[in-house]
Amino acid sequence: MTYVRSRNRRLAGTFLLPTAAVLFLTTIYPMLYALWLSLRNYDLAKPFIPRIFVGLKNYREVLTSDAFLHSLVVTFKLMAVTLSVQFVLGVGMAILVTQRLPGMAFIRTLLLIPMMISPVIVGLVWLFLYFPELGYLNYFLSMVGLNPIPWITSTQWALTAIAIADIWQWTPFIMMGTAAALQSLSPEPYEAARIDGNSTIDVFLHVTLPQLKPVLISLMFLRAIDAFKIYDIIFVLTKGGPADATETIALYIYRQSFTFWRMGVGAAASFVSLIVISVLITLFFRSMQKSAASR
Amino acid sequence: MSGWRRHVLGMVLALSAATGAIAQDKPFSGITLKMLGIGDTSVTRLAKITGEFEEMTGAKVQIDMLPYPGLIDKITIETSSDNPTYQLLWVDSPWIGVLGEAGSLQDLTDFAKRDAKEIGLDDIIPVQLQENSWQGRLLAFPASGMIWHVNYRQDLFENQDEKTAFKAKYNYDLAPPTTFAQYHDIAEFFTRKKGEKLAGKVLASDFYGTAQSYSRVQGAITHDYFPIMRAFGGDYWDPKTGLCTMTGEPHVKAAEFMKSLVPFNPPDYLGLMWDIQSGYMERGETAIAGYWSVRTVRLTNPAEAKLPTIGKAGFSASPTVDGKPEPTYTGSLSFAINSKIPDKEKEAAWAFIKWGTSEKIMRRLADEGWGISQFRKSILSDPALQAKYPYYKVLLDTQNNARRRIFHPFYANVEENFGVELSKYMAGETQTAEEALKTACDAVNEQLESIPLETRLRWINDEPVAVLAK
Repeated sequence: MTYVRSRNRRLAGTFLLPTAAVLFLTTIYPMLYALWLSLRNYDLAKPFIPRIFVGLKNYREVLTSDAFLHSLVVTFKLMAVTLSVQFVLGVGMAILVTQRLPGMAFIRTLLLIPMMISPVIVGLVWLFLYFPELGYLNYFLSMVGLNPIPWITSTQWALTAIAIADIWQWTPFIMMGTAAALQSLSPEPYEAARIDGNSTIDVFLHVTLPQLKPVLISLMFLRAIDAFKIYDIIFVLTKGGPADATETIALYIYRQSFTFWRMGVGAAASFVSLIVISVLITLFFRSMQKSAASR
Repeated sequence: MSGWRRHVLGMVLALSAATGAIAQDKPFSGITLKMLGIGDTSVTRLAKITGEFEEMTGAKVQIDMLPYPGLIDKITIETSSDNPTYQLLWVDSPWIGVLGEAGSLQDLTDFAKRDAKEIGLDDIIPVQLQENSWQGRLLAFPASGMIWHVNYRQDLFENQDEKTAFKAKYNYDLAPPTTFAQYHDIAEFFTRKKGEKLAGKVLASDFYGTAQSYSRVQGAITHDYFPIMRAFGGDYWDPKTGLCTMTGEPHVKAAEFMKSLVPFNPPDYLGLMWDIQSGYMERGETAIAGYWSVRTVRLTNPAEAKLPTIGKAGFSASPTVDGKPEPTYTGSLSFAINSKIPDKEKEAAWAFIKWGTSEKIMRRLADEGWGISQFRKSILSDPALQAKYPYYKVLLDTQNNARRRIFHPFYANVEENFGVELSKYMAGETQTAEEALKTACDAVNEQLESIPLETRLRWINDEPVAVLAK
């Protein structure tokens, strides 16, 4: 018996080995290497500068850098705007597409298309729309007698322009998740609410929303992580500009690592952002647990 | 063996012998040269005829043309690898410092000395060779010589109504600017709204006095700022410490001058980088613009610009503060050889550079209407070509009294830090030019201070290029 158990364990270990090796090579080793880099003065473009150990100097530089703090603020601003709009629109669209109306299946498929496109392509599509002189949006505005808007070339508009592109792409994700949840809801509470004479809004607020809460929280959690990492669309549309209006954390890290080639500082900034997002997730889960316990 | 079989065999043997002989005549048969290049006139013109080089030498040439933003990043990664993919590299002259100090580029000094006659070394404007040198060693070879100069709508400058109105408003004649104050006046004068008149015609859309780069992307704004800053008398480095010194009065005045031009620029000025900026002049939508001569070549070609079909481009030297001539800000777009490739490939790459930058090819392209911003005296001074390309005379005159562009190994740091901070100042996010320049300079110095003084001073010393030593 013991022999069989031990043999099974060895066999399980053998089967797990390839997965463990892949995990080590693609996740653990790069992470350890990044940690090693973050403690060194490592400039890839300037091998003539000694790549020495500098302790926590890179972390100190990141945490005291105005540019990093600015990028943190920009990231949170973008996250707040995109998440709130995506949720309002996504839930609304989900309610719409779950109605038994003709052609809804086709509309639902159409609405999912943006989500399936690569963010770089989404960026290019919106670049054509936003392009200052030749973009379609300003062309349509001029057709109705409105002045052109410097969508991606004004510090006032650029972040909004990025947010619109992100909302366009990811609202269908919220819609899809919410629609799936809506279709799986039990009909009994609705029948009870209808018998009690509740209005449609009351039913939505007091029956539907509470039932959707766990799904919505999970969707928000996933989108929050994505919003924190947003890079592709911004890189294509503004590259962090104009000035530093759209420089998010990901862009800051890119700039340190691949413009200045200061791999150490870039790695340190990555770890700081990892800590920030980890703290956020922990706080988020704690509040969820509290909320569940209070129910 | 039957007669016809012997006949066929004989023909096959003769053919293979002949092919072998041809292959032996071609010194670089079997070699493929890959160039990490750019979609710029210095490459696009040549890319169409590389088959001729293969025909002559046997070496195949494959050119990958990438956009300027990000190209140096790819070159950095490529040259830090011990197994190179690219034998030939397209380099902008300010990159010479970092690539030279890192040992990424093959020293071409011996090649150039050996083949001085063949390449017509004396025919090349000396500053173009200096532009491509690091610590006296020639590390790249000019493929296109650049100057910073002024392009303007000559047809508007010659319009009598506009001349009269200008004289009435500013009390002097409308002419290409020799001072920055005049440049400002001209930009202001020609800024018109849709519905107003320009040269007697009602404008269907806004017309812009000028179009300059204010974008931070790849430090585009610094490409406009540095020539102006140098013309205001500023310098990059403190000669005693080797640290960034771009916070003085000339630097501030230059930044303030650029900001004073913002109202005369297109509304997307913060997004203007090279191609977008020069597009305004190519479409004839701006009156005047300071720019690198590499894209000026497009302004006379109706296949590449709309302007020749609706008006006429004029060219002049860059203005100065007081109107007195002073060295022009120059640059060079060049071909270099990856230092890590085998010797045989180096020879093939050098052969390609010699061929692609030769007087024969340059003249042919110019004759065919696809001129490149030149670096050869013989072409720039040719009266027939000067008549065909009016900017050739400006190029020749100004390059003879030119000042080298920034060449420091920390150029990328300078370009990026000043790009962001100046762009913020132009956008009104940073209140004063002093504050913007200080922030940028401090960021550069924070890293430079870790470098020994001796090295810093060596980096700012422009050693005369050895190939020019007599």
